[in-house]
Amino acid sequence: MATRIVAAPGKIRSKNNSLVWLSAASLVVFFIIWYGLVESGIISKALLSPPAEVLTTFISKFSNRAPDGATLGAHFKTSLTLALTGYITAVVVGAPLGLLMGWYKKVDSIVKPIFEVIRPIPPIAWIPLAILWFGIGLPAKAFIIWLSAFVPSVINSYAGIKLTEPVLINMSRTFGATNWETFLRVGVPSALAMVFTGLRLSLSSAWMTLVAAELLAATEGLGYMIQMGRTLARPDVIIVGMLTIGLTGAAMAFILERFEGKLAPWRRS
Amino acid sequence: MNAKASPAEIFSRFLPLTSLLLIIIVWQFAATGGYFGKSLPSPVAVVNQFVDMLAEPVGKTILGGHIWASMRRVLTAFAVAVLIGIPMGLLMGWNKKAEAIIKPIFEIFRPIPPIAWIPLAILWFGIEETPKVFICFIGAFIPAVMNAYTGIRFTDPLLLDAARSQGANLRQLFKEVAVPSALPAIFAGLQNGLSLCWMCVLAAEMVGAEEGVGYLILRGMDMSNPAMIITGMLIIGAVGALIAVGLRYVERWVCPWKREISM
Amino acid sequence: MEARNIDVKSEISCQHLYKSFPGMDGNVTEVLKDVNLSVAKNEFLVILGPGQCGKTTLLNIMAGLDSSDSGEILLNDVPVSGPNPNLGLVFQRMALMPWKTVMGNVSMGLKFRGVSKKEREEKARYFINLVGLSGFEKSYPYQLSGGMKQRVGIARAYCSDPEVLLMDEPFGALDAQTRYMMEEEILRIWEKAKRTVVFVTNNIEEAIYLGDRIVLLSRCPATVKAVYPIDLARPRQFTDSRFLEVRQKIADNTDLAL
Repeated sequence: MATRIVAAPGKIRSKNNSLVWLSAASLVVFFIIWYGLVESGIISKALLSPPAEVLTTFISKFSNRAPDGATLGAHFKTSLTLALTGYITAVVVGAPLGLLMGWYKKVDSIVKPIFEVIRPIPPIAWIPLAILWFGIGLPAKAFIIWLSAFVPSVINSYAGIKLTEPVLINMSRTFGATNWETFLRVGVPSALAMVFTGLRLSLSSAWMTLVAAELLAATEGLGYMIQMGRTLARPDVIIVGMLTIGLTGAAMAFILERFEGKLAPWRRS
Repeated sequence: MNAKASPAEIFSRFLPLTSLLLIIIVWQFAATGGYFGKSLPSPVAVVNQFVDMLAEPVGKTILGGHIWASMRRVLTAFAVAVLIGIPMGLLMGWNKKAEAIIKPIFEIFRPIPPIAWIPLAILWFGIEETPKVFICFIGAFIPAVMNAYTGIRFTDPLLLDAARSQGANLRQLFKEVAVPSALPAIFAGLQNGLSLCWMCVLAAEMVGAEEGVGYLILRGMDMSNPAMIITGMLIIGAVGALIAVGLRYVERWVCPWKREISM
Repeated sequence: MEARNIDVKSEISCQHLYKSFPGMDGNVTEVLKDVNLSVAKNEFLVILGPGQCGKTTLLNIMAGLDSSDSGEILLNDVPVSGPNPNLGLVFQRMALMPWKTVMGNVSMGLKFRGVSKKEREEKARYFINLVGLSGFEKSYPYQLSGGMKQRVGIARAYCSDPEVLLMDEPFGALDAQTRYMMEEEILRIWEKAKRTVVFVTNNIEEAIYLGDRIVLLSRCPATVKAVYPIDLARPRQFTDSRFLEVRQKIADNTDLAL
């Protein structure tokens, strides 16, 4: 049994080559099992495509509109535009609102109760109402995605600014800062970490909700693509779509993390 | 709270209630005023709808039946996810070889939102119970593994040293130190997983089901009955909040040493 | 408990210890350089050294939690090669298990050794009582003050019945008032249940107040600079003229950074 506790923390972090090889081997075995299950017929090709076929489909989908009516790039662009539009507008409203809610008691007691009613309702549950209100088009989806990003960005900014050290607030007051100045110079920077947590959660929430919305009502987009893959019984298309969704989500999270490092350099991850 | 409160204090204490009441009143007038046509039901209509659904079936069953149908799927999936996910996460966090083997494969699946599994799940399992439970399983499984894993990895080395100096062997270090110190993180993962589960069951039921709360709101949409949708949404929110509170009680019971941390 | 008398035979000793750590920039930081010391049975030895001079490393090596690059620790003439039930450790940061009650924390060593619940609770209760925490058996660490937590730490170290107690700046995290009180307490406990004690501190008064002997370490890399036997009668007074004399003598010879 190899465990990390034998070495004191952080002292011995020599790169362990055998572990890297183990990881590589594990991935290889994973793909071999996948390949074997499909090629041997244990799992029908109608249900799961072998890895090579997924790769071929992935490459051909860059230029091929079949079978779902658009190239991978077009689906990707539709989804990304929608998600980012909803996300950015939500965050721009949500984070400041959360900060204000956490700082000003009056705003808090007015907004919070309404918020507490809306908060536990998953954004997906808004889909039927949104479709009923706005029809199947873009506004309905935009609304749902906006809502899904809005809620976490408010909650985390709110919690973040509530945790501001009272010492820092008092320090600022003794230097003669007004409440508004203290809010801007002390409250907001010290809440920044939590604000960013909110931004990250909002992003993954928006991305997931987008998929759900596109599954239910869309004519283009990655969610639509995997839904079509199911209708046409094309597991390769579904898997390509899923992997694209996963990769895009991971990439966006990564970019946001980089951005956070730039904006709040005093924080160490 | 002191006995004597100034009018201003009393006012601010009732401000939250006032704000809710105000919203409901505005909502009522907006709905009955006819500015939104039929698309916005009044609060009274929502309450009536709720009372109706308690006894009158929508589709196959009454409101309670729909809630139970969704709960059953969520709880089944959640139980399986916890039983597999937590041991797997603990193993990954404790044993470097296990980590090297499991983590790369896990990392392929981790960023894929559980909802994106719906088409594949339907392709594989049809449209009966299995695909819904499967989607919920994915929703709960990933946070269960991740939090058990990070929980173990962030065990305070000082505590491990303390236990070693007291003569603990590897197995005892794991059982007596690493696992208990990971428990708060594990519970955070369960909390997260359960709310994801609840969201997934909705999505799965909306894509195709004959009972469950997701079916209920979609049915409301098909019937152009916004009162039914809003009732459904409020129920979904309430049940989600209740299961979160329930889990918090379980946590307080399992981890009595944890100091209260508000919000 | 049986009273043990000071035995001239050395119980634990360090022989030519060397230790260095690889630094961030690839350089190697030498922490211990030829450290030699020996402690007699039931002696209260204080290791006094400036902050960051490798005292904790030295104690961790003595406790068998860490290993030296060269040299060895002898416990009753047998080399120490890992954690040993005969070596009890008290940590500066208490290191109590937050999920265990006072009883659970104190009796954990016995639990690890497979002692029955009844027996270990009986023994733990004796030491909880000894450190003055009767009535708090069922409390969790978060419900205790800093001084009380460290009492639990001391009782825990005692409860495994070690021959040697290693204490790593046990009162370093306490406020001054509590610290004075705990200094008196540790002597009271030690008088009642004599063990060999190696007590690490960076506080010169604490060292003189407590120690039978003081080993003065140099700045990094740590090496033994001088050894002072303290032949003042206990209880010692901080304002006593001979106390101050010793204090002056040691202070003149230290690299204690202020």
